[in-house]
Amino acid sequence: MTAAVKKRRKPVRPARVVLQAFLIVMAVGWIFPIAWAVYNSLRDFDYTSVNGYFSVGGFTLDNYVEAWSRGEFGQSFYNTAIIVIPSVLITLLLASMVAFVLARFSFPFNLTLLALFTAANLLPQQALLVPLFRLFLNFELSYDVSDSGSLYDTYVAVIAANIAFQTGFCTFVLSNYMKTLPRELTEAALVDGAGVLRRYWQLVLPLCRPALAALATLQITWVYNDFFWAVAFMRTGDKMPVTSSLQNLRGQFFTDYNLLSAGSVIVAIPTLIIFFVLQRHLRAGLTLGATKG
Amino acid sequence: MMNPRPLAGGVSAMAIRRRTLLKGALGAGALAGLAGCGGGDDGGGGGGAVTFGSNWSDEVPKNAIAAMMKGHDAEVSINTVDHNSFQENINNYLQGGPDDVFGWFAGYRMQFFAEQGLVGDISDVWSDIGSGFSEAMKQQATGADGKQYFVPLYYYPWAVFYRKSVWAERGYTPPATMDEFVALSKQMQGDGLVPLSFGDSDGWPAMGTFDYLNLRINGYDFHVELMAGERPWNSQEVKNVFDAWRELLPYHQPDALGRTWQEAAQTLLRKESGMYLIGMFMGQQFPEGPERDDLDFFPFPEIDPAVGADAVEAPIDGFMMAARPRNEEGAKDLLRYLGTAEAEDAYLAVDPNNVAAHDDADTSGYSALQKKSQELVSGAKSISQFLDRDTRPDFASTVMIPSLQAFLRDPDDVDGLTKSIEEQKASIFGG
Repeated sequence: MTAAVKKRRKPVRPARVVLQAFLIVMAVGWIFPIAWAVYNSLRDFDYTSVNGYFSVGGFTLDNYVEAWSRGEFGQSFYNTAIIVIPSVLITLLLASMVAFVLARFSFPFNLTLLALFTAANLLPQQALLVPLFRLFLNFELSYDVSDSGSLYDTYVAVIAANIAFQTGFCTFVLSNYMKTLPRELTEAALVDGAGVLRRYWQLVLPLCRPALAALATLQITWVYNDFFWAVAFMRTGDKMPVTSSLQNLRGQFFTDYNLLSAGSVIVAIPTLIIFFVLQRHLRAGLTLGATKG
Repeated sequence: MMNPRPLAGGVSAMAIRRRTLLKGALGAGALAGLAGCGGGDDGGGGGGAVTFGSNWSDEVPKNAIAAMMKGHDAEVSINTVDHNSFQENINNYLQGGPDDVFGWFAGYRMQFFAEQGLVGDISDVWSDIGSGFSEAMKQQATGADGKQYFVPLYYYPWAVFYRKSVWAERGYTPPATMDEFVALSKQMQGDGLVPLSFGDSDGWPAMGTFDYLNLRINGYDFHVELMAGERPWNSQEVKNVFDAWRELLPYHQPDALGRTWQEAAQTLLRKESGMYLIGMFMGQQFPEGPERDDLDFFPFPEIDPAVGADAVEAPIDGFMMAARPRNEEGAKDLLRYLGTAEAEDAYLAVDPNNVAAHDDADTSGYSALQKKSQELVSGAKSISQFLDRDTRPDFASTVMIPSLQAFLRDPDDVDGLTKSIEEQKASIFGG
């Protein structure tokens, strides 16, 4: 409608009309499911079960209160933090070290190594589930350290799996980014007598801040969303991450979808916060990384 | 951007120290987190508290389990994992050192793990608690080797549910035979109702219909052997089941593959349909109060008088013990307690949606529906568990769910369908 009116006032520009229409459709398409979930999370199940989801009424905040306590979100957010924070920090640290060497030093298997890291991304996680499960199970520990007597059912197992799977992608992005930094900078530092570690830690790493911030955002979201490793390597309900809280809201047979919507909104909030906090860096990081020569 | 010069100077050292300090703090926090990982919250050492792995993660059953465990004279530490994850992960769980005692299902699904030596023999516990359970219950707790591995807690029957108010208004009466059932369905269609609610988007609800048709047409023994992989699926007997089902399909709610069982229950709730073949858990979809009290059921009608209608589908949930529990003495004491009427009473006082498996359990607080379920099951000659519990789990999920859905999509190709099931069965059961 608006597009048609505009068209009459301004001359031609059919491309613009198409663009606007496309953007409106896409925006509505993306926003509708989220708005729908938020809307129904604010309504009483007994009301919607009798009147259907297309009705108006039965508004309540109880779903949020109940979802929080039933899903034990307090505990599971804490567990998620225990998994996400070390996973992301260690991944970025290791990936940036590898990337620095790959980008700044030339040696025979330089490119091969980078290709190896990139190729590892293509490996499906499911294929490695059984070997990893056996590995952790056979890694015996004292019962004082682990309730299961092995690495199975510990956070270390989940964190290690996450780090191993995310390092490849981070290395790829970071090494491409580091290649865009002027070589003269590190050469000058070398002339000034800075060693390899110093050039990495005090020169290249600070310059990589946009890329690191972008990767941190992505990594936090990915590890935060992970359910696969946690379920595969954990058996204690109280150690499960926040994704399992949502699963908790799904009943054995019966699912209160209004309650589940409320839980989904609660789970989505931290990712939104992280996105908005790091948004400025994210944008810079994505565009800067794109112009690799 | 950054001048490399000050690297040598003292100014940047200050700036860097601030940053490293921050990073160091984060790193230290991360390490502290890691160190805390293995730490045992419940510290269950060799002879300490018995650990109990619970898949009763829904709010009401969870509280009921807690109340039940409180009645035991020793300390029990409960580890609740959400029901679906627990079930999908049972293999990992059992191999990775499970809790001393854990919740599971009766029948083939129990026997399957017993045969692999992943659960513990509790025949000595049964010699103490056995007198409280019927022969049919004991049979469901017994593995293929004749030993007991399972303590039953409760069951919930599958039956044809309906709303009393709708039936009273229209003067319907529960049918006893398939002919009466079809006549009633036609009458409902004439009255503008969908005779049978049906939703199979999750794949498992249709198994209930298959089970009952097979139990009524071919009998319990055939059903058990078919499920155990000992009978061919492309036999005339199985084809008869699908043929009978196809005759009934016009009375089912159409387009069932796009509907969950909850949505199907919705049509019964809104009085748009007349009946629904489903488990007793369906009551949870009805708002508590007059709506839920309006529910009633009748057993699936008889098809062949020679076979009768005395087999009932009633999945049993209960407890098992790990193959090598850390605290075996405590685990068996706990199981002995869980097999008493008092323990079941404690559970059902909080969760009255099921029926106690123990003979001496207190039935005075039962609702009309619970009483009727108890009569139905105690009068049954044999109890089946449900397709996905009576056969190998991988066969049920990877073969039967898609096959039954394929049948609902294209009910005419029974020959091709049964042949394909038989071929897949052969590969899963190993010929």
